[in-house]
Formats: sequence, structure tokens, C-alpha cells
Amino acid sequence: MHLLSIRELSTEQIQEILALAKELKQIALSGGSLPDLSGRVVGMLFFENSTRTRVSFEQAARKLRMDVTSFGIMGSSMAKGETLKDTVLTLKHEGIDSLVMRHHASGAPYLAARFFEGPVINAGDGMHEHPTQALADALTIIESKGTIQGLNVAIVGDVQHSRVARSNLWLLSKLNANVRLVGPLTLMPRHTGMLPASVHYDLMTGIKDADVVMALRLQKERMNSGLISSLGEYASLYQINERSLKAAKPDCIVMHPGPINRGLELDDRTADGKHSVITQQVENGIFVRMAVFVTVFREKSSVEKTTKVRRLHSETQKEEQAPAMGKKSS
Amino acid sequence: MKVVLRNGRILDPSQNLDVVGSVVIENDQITEVGEKVREEDADVVYDCTNLWITPGLVDLHVHLREPGFSHKETIITGTQAAAAGGFTTICCMPNTNPPLDNPALIDFILDRSASPEAGGIFVAPIGALTRGMDGEHPADLAALKRAGIVAASDDGFPIQSSQVLRRCMEICHQLDLPVATHCEDKTLTEGGSMNEGAVSAVLGLKGIPRSAEEIHVARNCMLSLDTGCPLHILHVSSWGSVEIIRQAKALGAPVTCEVCPHHLVLTDEQMVPFDTNWKMNPPLRTQLDIEILLQALTGGDIDCISTDHAPHAKYEKDVPFEEAPFGIVGLESAVGLILTFVTHKGYLSPLEMIRKMSTRPAEIFRLDAGTLKPSRTPVAQVAVIDPEVEWVFDVNKTFSKGKNSPLHGMRLKGKTLLTFSGNEVYRDALWDESRLQMGYPVGRK
Repeated sequence: MHLLSIRELSTEQIQEILALAKELKQIALSGGSLPDLSGRVVGMLFFENSTRTRVSFEQAARKLRMDVTSFGIMGSSMAKGETLKDTVLTLKHEGIDSLVMRHHASGAPYLAARFFEGPVINAGDGMHEHPTQALADALTIIESKGTIQGLNVAIVGDVQHSRVARSNLWLLSKLNANVRLVGPLTLMPRHTGMLPASVHYDLMTGIKDADVVMALRLQKERMNSGLISSLGEYASLYQINERSLKAAKPDCIVMHPGPINRGLELDDRTADGKHSVITQQVENGIFVRMAVFVTVFREKSSVEKTTKVRRLHSETQKEEQAPAMGKKSS
Repeated sequence: MKVVLRNGRILDPSQNLDVVGSVVIENDQITEVGEKVREEDADVVYDCTNLWITPGLVDLHVHLREPGFSHKETIITGTQAAAAGGFTTICCMPNTNPPLDNPALIDFILDRSASPEAGGIFVAPIGALTRGMDGEHPADLAALKRAGIVAASDDGFPIQSSQVLRRCMEICHQLDLPVATHCEDKTLTEGGSMNEGAVSAVLGLKGIPRSAEEIHVARNCMLSLDTGCPLHILHVSSWGSVEIIRQAKALGAPVTCEVCPHHLVLTDEQMVPFDTNWKMNPPLRTQLDIEILLQALTGGDIDCISTDHAPHAKYEKDVPFEEAPFGIVGLESAVGLILTFVTHKGYLSPLEMIRKMSTRPAEIFRLDAGTLKPSRTPVAQVAVIDPEVEWVFDVNKTFSKGKNSPLHGMRLKGKTLLTFSGNEVYRDALWDESRLQMGYPVGRK
């Protein structure tokens, strides 16, 4: 099994991963015995800089006693012109069991999955998806609110370029939340008809009665391409702060996938304030990634087991047939 | 050598001919067409009962990739693929390396396509509109015309400057040379890899908006009206473009346009996410676009059908979607696709289908093709099509080097079985050999 997107997961699969993550967290915090995936080698293939996601995956792998190999792209064969396909094929034959991959192109992990035998886990691809971030967010919401069903969740900011938004909106809607996308027209996809969410261009309308307010990171370079007129104007219209949060429910939680542009998407007091669950998101990231490793390898193990059983079965049949054929010929 | 194609449904739009009859080819030329012909002394008779006998098809938009990109396609493999599709005349685009911007390269194309290994069909080169296809300096168009180009285009590298295009069109008008344009405002499409719409929003891929095509369609039509230069608009994909072209024609602009089979059949919603075999430019649009394109094809606002056959090597497509080159192969699937999804569905009569795929394109670039009239083409150009045969398109069994097609595995109804360019240049495996009488001509299987 690969984990390439939330959109392609069933609600049951999502719930299973979340339940497993919750269980693993309890075991870890109580000092219990965690699943042992020793002997498995996971390759960290990051084509974009990402300290927090990479470290989170590494931590998750180590807690499960997996071996971790990281590939720096600078100075690698890829920097020398090797294709992604060839890199993946090489890693496959070098004994890597699973790939955690981040890539600047949407859908790149799909290509890797075509050529890599073991599980490929998408750690963020272009503007497409960031499934494990959404799973971490979901676990955090459940811990705070008890459930996701029926919650009003506002995802605020640069939706167009956000893989976090594109994973979260599917996950949250599959678990029956009311998802709202909030942001300026220039940072919103132009055609949102297939996205399971309502669209709001006004912040106060968008976060009205919200149980969860999820701010997205704004890439400052967007300003240079004319998508926003100025950082100050963006902050004045879309910043999550004490004033704007008055529109949301009093017990709402504030989330951010990090790293935060303090004073832009969130003001300082909100980032560190009573509504913020940002550090919890980071912590939960490790447990959902552990759950994902266990899930994908469990699937792989069951496939291996089935293959083994089939092989044994066919060998037994051969053995049974051989003497019979011998009898016939005699 | 006398060849008779007997008892087929003769579809020749150049004569408004739709009758059951026979076609006689003597010494590589059509000598008789009609219900009653002289079959005596025939060396070979092909029984074409329940088959169509049509003028060889004409494709105004083919990428043969040579020189420079022979790992994608060569003139030899490209012409073989064309013959297998029923095409007897194809126009090759100039975006090779180097681009077709000087007479020596036009000579090269003509020589190579006439070689014995090639498909035996005619290649009519399209010259570069600007030098090196740089979009800035008009090429030496008079010399290119003397060398044999039939039109000029910077396809794939659309001229962004209106002033430069206007100058080029003035020159071409004076030379009586049609200009063909790929319509794309690059400032709106930078980084885009599929249609901008609901699907691109889901997949997180930067979209290519319709307006990028429509703005250039409108601009180019106005420049055609302004300069009087015949303008052929390549691969129309958007319903808005159709409306603009209709208006331009009504204003008296000498404008024609084409549509590709895939834009009449496939939508962005059908694409397999991130499968680069679905990546093309213009991109697949929506069902609404398809419906309006089909109406325009039926009504005559769209003049002809071209394939935009764009082969790429497998390794070039085995990359992330955003990094893959645009384009799909089309020569060998065009007839099946158009029959299955356009003609059999009643959008075009058989005669109109052949008009759009043979007679009309020949008229647009003034080619000696697209007719069964005796001695009107350099040699007999004929296709024999079975409109009812059902088959599965297997891209791995095609002559083209390019295997990049989203149609692989698609069940189609209708196929070219024989192609004649003078003599037989293609015979399909589905051709029933018992239909051949009195000898067996040599042909490629």
C-alpha cells in the first residue's frame, strides 16, 4: 500500500490510521512496547527543504526501530541529471523498503510508486497533497473536540498553492466536517466545483462560528508575482488574531502547519495563545507517521504472506501432482 | 499494372460522390471512378464490398521530429504511421532542431520522405514563420516557398508580439502563403500543464485557461482581417475560440481552423491523474467544449480535422506530470476515433467526415490531394476503410516511435485497411486476404 493522497483513501482507512495513531501515542506516553519494524529501511527522498516534516518522519521511523537513510539531493545523481525514475529504481535495488518523498511537482510520488516496489509515502508534492499533515491535524482536532463530525472548519489563506489545504479539505469532509475555504480571489483555485468545501473571500464571514481555524502559510514570494498587493494589506484582511477570532466560536482552536510567518498569518498572541494547538500538531505528526508506517508495512506483510502461502500451496500441488503423473506414465 | 478496387462505397467530397462502385488505378494513377468501370485486364482486384473507398486522408498538422529529435520519430517512421492511418499527404511542422527555416532543410525533408524506406506518402513541409522560430524576426519566407513549403507557422512557439505577427502575415500575404498559428498567450499559461478547471484545482496542477487560447485566436483573426493573409488556426480546443472564429469569418476574415480528434472525445475529467500520456497542448477541456466543437464541426465553422501527431520518447514522458513534454500520437488512431465518436454518433455523415479529413484540408493549404478525380493528384491517393470493424487500439503495435497516447486499450469501431499512394503502401492485418483476387501486390503489413 502507498499513501499518496487523502482523496484516494476511504473514510474507513482514514479512521483506522487515526485510531492506530491514537493507540500508538498512548503506548508511547505510557512507556509501553511499540510495534517493532526493525530490519525495514526507509529512505527519505526530499527534493525540497523541509526540516520539520523530515525530522518528524525520522523520529517516527526510529521509534519503530526502522533504519533511516536520507538522501540529500544537492550533489546527488539527480543533481547530475539523473531522472526521478532512475533514482527510484536505484533505491529499490539498493534494498530500501519504503520511500518517504517530498517533491516540488504535484503527482511526483505517483511516478515513484509506479517504479518502486515498496510503499511510497507522500510527504508533500507540489500544490497537490500533504496527507500526513492532514492526519496529524485531524488527530489534533479529535483530541481537542472529541470528534470531527459536524465541526465548522475554516481553512484560511493561500488555498491555491497549499498542499496542506488540499489534503485537509478531503479528510475533514470525509469525516463530515463543514469545510470552508477562506482567502483572496487571487489565492483561491478558480474552479472549486469539485472541492468538498464552501468558498469565502471575506475572513469574518468565513470564520463565523468556526470550531477550528486553520491558517495556511503564505509564501512571501507570492507578493512579487502580484498575487497580493502587499503583506500589510494581506495581514489586515486575512490575519487570524484576537479581533478576527471574535467571529469564531469562543472555544475554537487555531492551527497552523508551520513554519509560521508571525505577524502575517497569525499575530504573536494568537500563535502562542489559549486557542493555539500548533505544538500539539507537531507532536501528533510523529504518531500519525508511525501509524502510517505500521499500516503500509502491515499491508505489505499481508501481501508477502499471501504470496508465500500461494507459493507453498502451488509447491504442494506440484509435489502432489508429480507422483500421480509418475503413476500414470508407469 | 492495373488495380481495381471493386464494389466499395465511394466517398469523394470533391465530386460530391457517394455511390457504390469501383476505382481503377492504372500505372499509379486513378483512371476511372464510378458505378461502372472497365475491370478487364486487371492485374489485381480488391473486393471492397461493405468498405469505403475514399481519397487518401490529408493531415495538416504532424510532427515528424526530424531533424534533431529522431529519438522521438523519424520521417520514415512518421510516414509509415501516417500510411497506416490512411493518410497519403501530411504537413510536417517546423519545430525541429534546427527549425525548418531555410531551404536546405526543406530539401532534406522532401528527399527523406521520398526515400524507399519511408511510408510512400507525400510530405508537405510547413516552414518556420520566424528565423529559428525566435518569434521576433521573419524567416526568409520567399526562399522557403520556392523550396516547397505549403504554409508557415511557429507552432509550439506562438509569436507573442502582435507587431511581429502582423509583419509576418503581410509578407505571407504577398507570397500567397497561408499562415498557421498555435494560439496561446504565454503570459497566461506559464507553468500550466492541464486545463484550468475543477480537475486542476483538485490535483494541484497549475492550469491553462481557455482565455489564453481565445485571446490569441481573436488577435490573430483580427490581424488576418487587417492584412488579408489566409490564416489557419491550429487545434481549436475551447468553445470560446469557436465563437470568435465564427465572428471573424462573418466579418470576412480569410480564416480556417482545425480540431484534433482527442479534443472531440476526451475531457480533463476522464484523465488518469498525473498520467503524462494525457498531457497535451492545448489541454483536454470539458464536455461543454466537446459539445460545441462537435456542433461547429457539423455546422462547418470548424473546417477540418488534424491529428497534431506529437510523438515523444518514453523516457521523456516518464517524469512528473508538470515536467513532461506536451503531446500525444494520433496518426494511427484518428480514423477509428472519429468514426467511433463522431460519424457513428451522427455528427458527420461519412461524406462529410472524409471532407473534413481529406478534401477540405487539401483545399486549405492548396495541396494536390483530397480527391479521387482521375489524374488530379501526382499519383493515386486512396484509402480503404472498414467503418464497422471493431478493434482495440494498442499503441505498442503502431509504426510511430512515439507510444504516448491516452487511447491505449480503447475499443474503436472503424479502421483503415488499405492505403494507396500510387501503389499499395499499407495493408492492415485485419484485411481479409480472401478479398484479393488475381494476384497479390507487394505492400507493407
